[in-house]
Amino acid sequence: MASRPTVTILGADGKATGATEVLPKVFGAPIRPDIVKHVHTGMAKNKRQPYSVSEKAGHQTSAESWGTGRAVARIPRVSGGGTHRAGQAAFGNMCRSGRMFAPTKIWRKWHVKVNQNQKRFATASALAASAVAPLLMARGHQVSTVPEVPLVVDSAAFAAATKTAGAVSLLKAVGAGEDVAKVKASKKLRAGKGKLRGRRHRQRRGPLVVYSPSADNKEIVQGFRNIPGVETSPVDALNLLQLAPGGHLGRFVIWTSAAIKELDSVYESKKGFFLPSNVVAQADLTRLINSSEIQSVLRGPKGEAKTKRGHVQKKNPLKNKQVLLRLNPYAAAFAKEKLGEKKAEEGKPKKLPATFFEQLQE
Amino acid sequence: MSNVSADLIWEIARLQNAYLVKRPSSGGVQFSRDPLNLTNLHSRKYAGFVNDKAIGVTGGEKGAVVVTSKKAGSANKPAAGVIKTTFNGSKSGRKIYKAIANQTAKSHYRGDLRQAAVARASAIRASQRPVKPSPEPKLRGNAAKKAAAKSE
Repeated sequence: MASRPTVTILGADGKATGATEVLPKVFGAPIRPDIVKHVHTGMAKNKRQPYSVSEKAGHQTSAESWGTGRAVARIPRVSGGGTHRAGQAAFGNMCRSGRMFAPTKIWRKWHVKVNQNQKRFATASALAASAVAPLLMARGHQVSTVPEVPLVVDSAAFAAATKTAGAVSLLKAVGAGEDVAKVKASKKLRAGKGKLRGRRHRQRRGPLVVYSPSADNKEIVQGFRNIPGVETSPVDALNLLQLAPGGHLGRFVIWTSAAIKELDSVYESKKGFFLPSNVVAQADLTRLINSSEIQSVLRGPKGEAKTKRGHVQKKNPLKNKQVLLRLNPYAAAFAKEKLGEKKAEEGKPKKLPATFFEQLQE
Repeated sequence: MSNVSADLIWEIARLQNAYLVKRPSSGGVQFSRDPLNLTNLHSRKYAGFVNDKAIGVTGGEKGAVVVTSKKAGSANKPAAGVIKTTFNGSKSGRKIYKAIANQTAKSHYRGDLRQAAVARASAIRASQRPVKPSPEPKLRGNAAKKAAAKSE
């Protein structure tokens, strides 16, 4: 790569400071939704807590089968009398107040191991996707007011962001206000039992602020944490669950200038991991097909060049002169010389001289 | 970046994106809410957020027609990468359509979108016209006239 693309650094007012930063190599990683999806499904399972029904559920009765001969099914039945429960079927999964089918156990396999290099590949891929504005839009982020993607804001501008009011005004200044407003408006009551289990509301995800834990003031975490949808992450601990929520690529990421400077060294320090490279250097298919390298080895089109005409009216060549000329180019000369009006040569053909016949019969 | 192209973005966003509207109950139609989509159909050609060049036509105030187009080559500058042109409502329809047709096709921008752009502008113009009040229904037959006279 001859010239590596750069990204402008914005100031606290949302205008370019004039400083630029070379885009870290991660942003050139291949964007692989298949890998991201697969890794995400595994990783998303690792925060689950075991649950199960009670071991005793459905078995807290001394039911016994009545055996055959009583014209009822042989399912165990509750013994005794004096209550409605007596004589009712018990235990079976088909029974009222029986045990469930295949009772859930706490020793279910809750966690999924995902290979570390796969996780790193997926994270790199998600980072590369976070620098593609159309993918942010496809994920639903409101980025129409954002000056540039990836959005890098000068670390000095985050000085005021240690307080939430300052953080909000900074987000607005750099064009992320619309995305935050969208998150705010999206808060809805969750459908179902999750409401009772500490997941009362659901809302969209807003921008992810990535900072450098060594160079930036870590108090910005407190500044941002009460803004709906906004999350923070240190640059050396980027998480796929934040970079590609739901396994969908294109999280809107706001970088501090210190974080983006550090990103290359973060990847260099990962032992045994090399950034994945692209299979094709040029992802634009049209450009690839029209490149001189490919066009030069292609055979030319067969047959003569002709324009495909769609539905056109049939023209009568006897009435339309242009169509007539296309069919019979001689018609022009024919009309010019007025050959159609000329009489046939006058008189009878002359008699051949007698010597001609003599010579013929020799 | 050379690792990204409209073709790749389409393959990633084809099955799932924020603009896509699927209605299985209507025979599995797929529509798009993309403001840069001229036909509101979910397709590679009309997907405005995917293509480097795209045209969007929306209605403006007082019968105006607003045409948005993307700047090719500034895909990663969302705020600056969109150009808005407003055609005043007092301008004649033909002039607006001509201007839109020129904007889409004449400078080799997106010739394939010309017809859809003009059609959308025309539909927007038609929707902005004041609705003609429908004439009062005529009374037909003597019985109806008598009944009307009686009720007065």
